[in-house]
Amino acid sequence: MTIGLEHYLIVSVVLFCLGLLGVIIRRNLIVMYMGLELMLNAANLALVAFSHFRDNLDGQVMVFFIITVAAAEVAVGLALIVALYRKRQTNDVTDLTSMKL
Amino acid sequence: MDLQLVSLEIGACLLGIVVLLVDLWTPAERKAQLGWLVASGLVGVFCYSFTIFDQGTGTGATGYVKDSLAVYFQGYFVLSAVLVVLLTQSYATRIRSGISELYAFTCFALAGMSFAAGANSLVLLFVAVELITITFYVLTSFERHRLRSLEAGIKYLILGAASSAIMVFGIALIYGSTGALDFHGVARAATGLNDDSMMLLYRLGVLMTLGGLFFKLAAVPFQLWVPDVYQGAPTPVTTFLSTGSKAAGIVLILRLLADACPPLLGEAWLRQLLALMAAATILYGSLCALRQRNLKRLLGYSSIASAGFVLLGLVTLSDQGAQAVLFYLTAYVFGVVGAFTVISVVSEESSDEDISTLANLHQRSPLMATVLTLSIISLAGVPPLAGFIGKFALLSAAISSVAVHPVMPWVIGAALVGVVISFYYYFTVIREIFWGKGRFWAEEAPSTEPLPCPRAAEVVLLTCLFGLIGLGLFPEPILFIAGEATEYLFSAN
Repeated sequence: MTIGLEHYLIVSVVLFCLGLLGVIIRRNLIVMYMGLELMLNAANLALVAFSHFRDNLDGQVMVFFIITVAAAEVAVGLALIVALYRKRQTNDVTDLTSMKL
Repeated sequence: MDLQLVSLEIGACLLGIVVLLVDLWTPAERKAQLGWLVASGLVGVFCYSFTIFDQGTGTGATGYVKDSLAVYFQGYFVLSAVLVVLLTQSYATRIRSGISELYAFTCFALAGMSFAAGANSLVLLFVAVELITITFYVLTSFERHRLRSLEAGIKYLILGAASSAIMVFGIALIYGSTGALDFHGVARAATGLNDDSMMLLYRLGVLMTLGGLFFKLAAVPFQLWVPDVYQGAPTPVTTFLSTGSKAAGIVLILRLLADACPPLLGEAWLRQLLALMAAATILYGSLCALRQRNLKRLLGYSSIASAGFVLLGLVTLSDQGAQAVLFYLTAYVFGVVGAFTVISVVSEESSDEDISTLANLHQRSPLMATVLTLSIISLAGVPPLAGFIGKFALLSAAISSVAVHPVMPWVIGAALVGVVISFYYYFTVIREIFWGKGRFWAEEAPSTEPLPCPRAAEVVLLTCLFGLIGLGLFPEPILFIAGEATEYLFSAN
């Protein structure tokens, strides 16, 4: 069996859905953040696969940008989570209830 | 590549770095004064890049265009950034960790916004959006010692990152179906698509990319973050969020729709979807604002409602609608900045943002009472102020497209209902200023002591006053420029 574009896409969609599911159902901030990274990497996989099968390098360049931006996002995100932990000793989103209607 | 083309962006970034450096040699009590430097620097950089644009270094670089639409939005972003910087300066006493960083981040966000104004490829769209969003994660949680600020930052972070992940996946799908990343290449390839599954992929990709941008605009169903983030963030950041960040989403949606999706514009489902979103957004924002007592939350919901009005202009998919959107935004910035500036000064004194803190404002500070009243009236859309002309232009663009859009009458109906509802909550604020009794549980009557207003905030208030009345009485110049800027949008269909 040769591995074609559709196989990569199926893996990518599965990864994306797993990541989204993680963000939606998990309540731990770190795990939610892992879900977000999974979603970004699913998009990276799709871009690289498309790029390879289309013989066009634009997609690969886009992936570099996404990786860089994701790194910046992680740096800021983890800093925020650490700041929250120092303040509240929690990293559970159900404790973030200081503002309500 | 011609570096002069991006002189505004480079200038804004350099200014941010310069502020951080100058901060090292500035005594602590004078650091807030750097705001004047930043504000005048931003104006200077914009003027420089504007004169270059005049000399005709128009387009040419791939992925970035500096056309009149870009310049209009860049002017808008610089205006709101300058006002926000001055507002930040008057907010300085409440910032415990480094005011200069706040100025610098405002400059970096401005660079991202002006890249967004000229974005002409999906790569630049993504990078510009992320530059804005990541900067705003930091800005939102800038008052780390305040739990609410931190909480707002984390909520914005999780929802913002999720929406950008969805947007990136959409970009991947667009790239996969068309093989191009720049808007015109995408449009060319999409017009030639004859494979049904590829077309489906392309549609899905456009929808997901738009979803990420609607998040910035705060349109239903991507509006959930707005109330909490608006309430928790420092007031200058909230102001920038509701003027700059929102407009960056709008210009990207305009460019994406007009340049990258001509094959989709004729399809009924896209128009119906946008129309449904416009109606839902207006009604959601107006209805939720009704019971609000917290001023920043109230303006958060009002900002959702105005995102709905912007969508109303976008639904028309015509240059007239886009022109109305541009004017509405310009009118909106004066109203929002005016209102938030007054809230910022009043809430500093009472360390509370409840609506009852406005009681007796007309005796305590006539200037602030006047500007807040006019801002609110303008946001509500009462003639002869700027907001009225904006809403009027949007509604008339919508009405003139009724012939091509069968669903349009319903959306216009929803918008009118939204306007009527909004009168109620906007006038609650005005009633509180002039006839407010203060807290119902408080023993003593609300204070009538004069409320001092910092110099920087005074400058902002006077600018807003001037803008609200000026744009209301003489809208033609701005309408003309907005018309010039949007002339070639949607010309393909």
